[in-house]
Amino acid sequence: MSGTPILKIRNLQAKVADEDLQILNGLDLELNSGEIHAIMGPNGSGKSTLAKVLMGHPGYEVTAGSVDFNGEEVLEMEPDERSQAGMFLAFQYPVEIPGVSIANFLRTAVQAHQGEEELDLFEFQDLLMEKMALLEMDPAFAERPVNDGFSGGEKKRNEILQMAVLQPSLALMDETDSGLDIDALQVVSNGVNKLREENPDMTVLLITHYQRLLNYIKPDHVHVMVDGKIVQSGGPEVALQLEEEGYKSWREIEAAQAD
Amino acid sequence: MSDTKTIEGVTDAINREAVQARTAGEPAWLASRRMHAWEVYEDTPMPTTRLEEWRYTDLTEKLLLDSLHLGSVEARPDDPSTFPAGLRQAMDEDREASGHLVLIDGAVVHTDIREDLSGKGVILCSLREAVEKHPELVETHLATAAVPPEEGKFQALNAALWTDGVFFYVPRGVRLDLPVRVTRWISESGAAFFSRTLIVAEPTSQVSYVDEILSDDLAAQTLTSSAVEVITQDGAQVQYVAVQRMGRNAFYLSQQRTLAYRDSTLDTLNVNLGGSVTRVDLNARLMGPGANSDMLGLYFGDADQHFDHNTSQDHVAGHANSDLLYKGALDEGSRAVFRGVIRVHEGAQQTDAYQTNRNLLLSDEARADSLPNLEIAADDVKCSHGATVGQLDEESLFYLMSRGLPQAKAERLVVLGFLGEVLSRLPLGGVQEKVTRAIEEKLASHG
Ligand SMILES: Nc1ncnc2c1ncn2[C@@H]1O[C@H](COP(=O)(O)OP(=O)(O)OP(=O)(O)O)[C@@H](O)[C@H]1O
Ligand SMILES: [Mg+2]
Repeated sequence: MSGTPILKIRNLQAKVADEDLQILNGLDLELNSGEIHAIMGPNGSGKSTLAKVLMGHPGYEVTAGSVDFNGEEVLEMEPDERSQAGMFLAFQYPVEIPGVSIANFLRTAVQAHQGEEELDLFEFQDLLMEKMALLEMDPAFAERPVNDGFSGGEKKRNEILQMAVLQPSLALMDETDSGLDIDALQVVSNGVNKLREENPDMTVLLITHYQRLLNYIKPDHVHVMVDGKIVQSGGPEVALQLEEEGYKSWREIEAAQAD
Repeated sequence: MSDTKTIEGVTDAINREAVQARTAGEPAWLASRRMHAWEVYEDTPMPTTRLEEWRYTDLTEKLLLDSLHLGSVEARPDDPSTFPAGLRQAMDEDREASGHLVLIDGAVVHTDIREDLSGKGVILCSLREAVEKHPELVETHLATAAVPPEEGKFQALNAALWTDGVFFYVPRGVRLDLPVRVTRWISESGAAFFSRTLIVAEPTSQVSYVDEILSDDLAAQTLTSSAVEVITQDGAQVQYVAVQRMGRNAFYLSQQRTLAYRDSTLDTLNVNLGGSVTRVDLNARLMGPGANSDMLGLYFGDADQHFDHNTSQDHVAGHANSDLLYKGALDEGSRAVFRGVIRVHEGAQQTDAYQTNRNLLLSDEARADSLPNLEIAADDVKCSHGATVGQLDEESLFYLMSRGLPQAKAERLVVLGFLGEVLSRLPLGGVQEKVTRAIEEKLASHG
């Protein structure tokens, strides 16, 4: 149902695990079920770190704050448990897994999501083919090793394929648009919108630098992140304003604060 | 089961008398080759870690030669119901084949070959039988150009003491669509077994051969020495696969030489998963222009397993290709050594030779040493070598776990993918599945 809170981030602070480098500096954010949120912000402001911390990347240490997902504290959970609870991260830089085919990988993932119950291989095959068709992917792609030798655009499309197969309730999409050409952007955006039609409760958090993605996947809320914090939140107009003005004003405030 | 030894009065110590006993009833040429090999053995000092080729495998510590006795050569019935369970299981997975040969403790107990193939002159039989029935073929090739005793101490020991083995001969132009499968089982703990394999593929023939050696865990160190000679004549195509899945305390010593003549293809795959100590010496010789050898290897260790691969790509003729890929994963306190040399002989212009060794360490105690080498005596060649030793990558594991895979599953998938690259380069009926299953079982046993 739309309107119920699905993700509540309170005062989230995180640093690089084995370095004295703080990246998230007390971040607050609340997402309701079925909403689309976009986070924009300058390079290095901590957007990807936020996404990875939400997914449980072991390279970061949370030093304060809480993350409540559907009433559960996720900071205590392993990445696989977060996935099984319904979270998904489409990576800004997807990882290559040589020798492991997409089909094999996704079969193992879907099986892990199902738990004890044995996966029906025919059903899985149908699901995979249906989602590949949705994203206009050649079925032969399923036998290729995950991201190994993929072009930038192919990697991004493969992220969304995984998302479509795993059907998360919360999708974090980190710069899925970068690396996609105009046609591919449209295909991928249509895919995401189709998934939301099938499951209106699916909540999406987009990280992007460009308005052009937001023309296809229309956000309800746009947040600006600077220096590890949300500094402004508003409606779609915030993105348009940033497109016009850039982050200049935020940089000035930052500089003033630093003095 | 009978207790009579086929060789009367043989002492079971490794000495000159034992070699002499082996020659009983053999043709003169073979007897003199054995005695010659024994002399080479005696004249060659035991390799020490001062030798580059044995730098990381200390035989004084690893090989208990004095406490080994020669394996008894028992005549056994060809009756699968009396075979050990592990052997039967491996055989059951190999129904699809052009022929089978089964050895237990070094003695051939079973052979079959499809009638249409024997009708075309294909021979698959025990090496002893071949010495009697096809002496001209055996004499021409055995321990001459391929794996001569002069190659090293253990090559010499094998040439002196071999009891039996495999002879596989394919006449000109004959093509086998299914592999020949050889299955070996070792059960006598504390014994030393010596066997030879001789494969001769005449011009334009086409064959694949899969040799699997198995045992349960053994109570005391048990040595299996295997010398393999593969000869691929002009335009022939051969795929040779050796899979070692022995139990603890097995010392597996495999010395292979492949000869690829003009326009032939000679691909090899060595899979080593079992045993306590594994040493493979593979010398691939490219003898004619247009020859091509893909050399693949895969190993996966745990506990205190030790793997030592020593390869050479000898480009005797120009205009030939060799491409080596050896990959290994090492868990717990296991250890691997890879030493490979590309040797381009004088005048072997237009050589393409590549060599890659990759190791994945799964624990802090595991260790891999990789020593790639080039010796090039020609100027118009393309050669490259590379070696890596890496750990499981945190980013890969996080990626897989973020899709719902528990850590152990994620690790398994990365390891399987890493090793699977090797298997996918030699897609041979059943081998990929069988080896993948064996790796999965081993991974699963780590919990
Ligand atoms: N593991 C790490 N080790 C060291 N520095 C890190 C690490 N992770 C992130 N950083 C640093 O933290 C800052 C934030 O990085 P992050 O990737 O979150 O930025 P971003 O907002 O996603 O940037 P972009 O828009 O370029 O993708 C950067 O300065 C980055 O170099
Ligand atoms: Mg980023």
